[in-house]
Amino acid sequence: MRKILSVISFLVASSAAFAQGAHDFKLNEVYVYTPACCQSDSDKTCEQQASYVDEYGQPTSWIEIENISYSTHDIRNCFLTINPAVLDKTMSAPEREKLMSLIPAGDPRTSLAAKQRITFFADGHVNRGTLHLNFTLPVGEPFTIYFFDGNAVDLLDSVRVEALPAGSSYARVKDAQWQVLEADKVTPNAPNVAFSNDKIKEFKEKDPHGIAMTLMCMGVVFLCLILLFVFFHIFGWAMNRAAKLARVRAIRAIHEKAERVVEMAKQGTTETKGIDMETYAAVIGLALHEYFGGTHDLESGILTINQTQTTWADKSHELRVTPQHHQAN
Amino acid sequence: MLLESVSTMDFIGTKLLDFLTYTGFANVEWANIIMIAVGAFFIWLAIAKDFEPLLLIPIGLGIILGNIPFKDAGLEIGLYEDNSVLNIFYQGVRQGWYPPLIFLGIGAMTDFSALIANPKLMLIGAAAQFGIFGAYMVALALGFEPNQAAGIAIIGGADGPTAIFLSSKLSPNLMGAIAVCAYSYMALVPVIQPGIMKLLTTKKQRQIKMKPARQVSQTEKMLFPIVGLLITTFIVPSGLPLLGMLFFGNLLKESTKTTRLAKTAGSALNDIIVMLLGLTVGCSTQASEFLTWNTIFIFIIGACAFVVATASGVIFVHIMNIFLPKSQKINPLIGNAGVSAVPMAARISQNEGLKADPHNYLLMHAMGPNVAGVIGSAVAAGVLLGFLS
Repeated sequence: MRKILSVISFLVASSAAFAQGAHDFKLNEVYVYTPACCQSDSDKTCEQQASYVDEYGQPTSWIEIENISYSTHDIRNCFLTINPAVLDKTMSAPEREKLMSLIPAGDPRTSLAAKQRITFFADGHVNRGTLHLNFTLPVGEPFTIYFFDGNAVDLLDSVRVEALPAGSSYARVKDAQWQVLEADKVTPNAPNVAFSNDKIKEFKEKDPHGIAMTLMCMGVVFLCLILLFVFFHIFGWAMNRAAKLARVRAIRAIHEKAERVVEMAKQGTTETKGIDMETYAAVIGLALHEYFGGTHDLESGILTINQTQTTWADKSHELRVTPQHHQAN
Repeated sequence: MLLESVSTMDFIGTKLLDFLTYTGFANVEWANIIMIAVGAFFIWLAIAKDFEPLLLIPIGLGIILGNIPFKDAGLEIGLYEDNSVLNIFYQGVRQGWYPPLIFLGIGAMTDFSALIANPKLMLIGAAAQFGIFGAYMVALALGFEPNQAAGIAIIGGADGPTAIFLSSKLSPNLMGAIAVCAYSYMALVPVIQPGIMKLLTTKKQRQIKMKPARQVSQTEKMLFPIVGLLITTFIVPSGLPLLGMLFFGNLLKESTKTTRLAKTAGSALNDIIVMLLGLTVGCSTQASEFLTWNTIFIFIIGACAFVVATASGVIFVHIMNIFLPKSQKINPLIGNAGVSAVPMAARISQNEGLKADPHNYLLMHAMGPNVAGVIGSAVAAGVLLGFLS
């Protein structure tokens, strides 16, 4: 039974870990390459269009995914598609897989460190490598990208992309809001928002003397220790109370036994009536003591009859560790 | 034959001259000499004056080691050179995993009974953390950035591992100076605190006798690390590495079933980490990194932090005494122990208490705020990390 429980716990823990890793990936930026735009659009757009290319030097559409967590996770075996048919709940997993582009295993580039991104080329040439998808992104019309977990059933993320101006991308920016980035602000394989340590900046601006920080931090420190104080104050009181009650119960039990023994002694009977002999002897002693007026206050009521092994009684402690003649040598 | 021997001599001469360029004598600067003298002074303090020898000897030798001049020729010997042995040891400081291991040892060695028996002493440990935030304000006033100010201010917690942990996260470029400052002032606690304690108390107050603490059951001792962990880390998850290891170590001790592990955590493991930590922190004070105005400011702020922490602990006891019945008054001499220099601060309470009344033993009472200070400073570090990282 214990083994079964261990296996179940392990499986539950493993599945949770897997799910957590996959859910840390989010679609981050989408770019649709417009092949004909250079003939009609400005030079800046044309330049931008040609600036991010695949391993073959070809400019193409791309989808960027970010690991939003602070741990390394592998995106292998997940799926990407723009085919809405995969939303059909009745469809089996193998059928779904046929409609989607698999992110293959065995490529170290699919392992994403904390806050890192990976860009997949939507060029329909899956034979060109791990980063190439088996579909292309439609130019000048809206579409939705679906990002599925390795089981091809759980939808991890999706984003609807409206028809984008040539050279622009659609990106997830602050607070997970999506917006169109102009041609010169497209950021393949880079953060969509420039990094800045807003927290430090904010504290510097709004709390230049550190008073707010002091109040907040001291508040938290006091809160933690006050909660500990309250808990152990109440718990200590409860423990004391429980100890007192246990002592009273023990004294009552002894008194009851003592009364029975005194009764038996008065009657002159030698039967112990279920009380073991050692207790019997001890209780007789106590009972006689109390009977003859020896009681002066409430004692702990705990009788130590069983032999307790302590270092005082330990024979080995009475022996010399190093006999004298050995030291002399 | 003669020509051959002349060319051999030339070769030897060239190589010897080349060798000389690698020696410390050829590369030494005045800053190195100063730092070596500082290292030697630390070792002298530790050996001759018995100031925290377990810390100051590794740090002192580390300072000397880190300031031995050498030619920068990619020999992988310096602390800051990738793949050097010292650099590998230094990763424990840099990545911040020595401090939690030290906390594991502290937890395994600490008896929280004094705190559990008299839980109101926890509040003194909280009050003494004002030292951290007093120093934070001073650091801001001196022009440090908020993250640097927080790294420096944590010196006021009088807790070396916490100071290293927080500064490695918030202000890694100041970590060497912060660590040396924190440990130096911890060693100087017996010099800094008594004067402030006397200044803030009357003789009568110093003679207050506290009631002996009640006996704490093993159940309470076992429950303390679990409840402590849950309460503190639910409120301040950013303190998890320090608080988690502190309470883990304590649970190993108090569970009574893992005595062997507790013994290892509190002795061998702790000693190894202390050696590596002290040595590498000392090494990190290479003259070029250490002898700056920032270091001087850090030492000034550190001194302020210790003074404020000690004073706030003592003053807080006075405030508590206003509300406590006469029979439960607290001796203000245990207020200084709210800083987490365990057990030095508590020993100072004891010594000062004995000076005022030779029959007044404050050690066990002072241990309460002292260990609460450890928790308090770790919580404070967690809060600062959460706000500024």
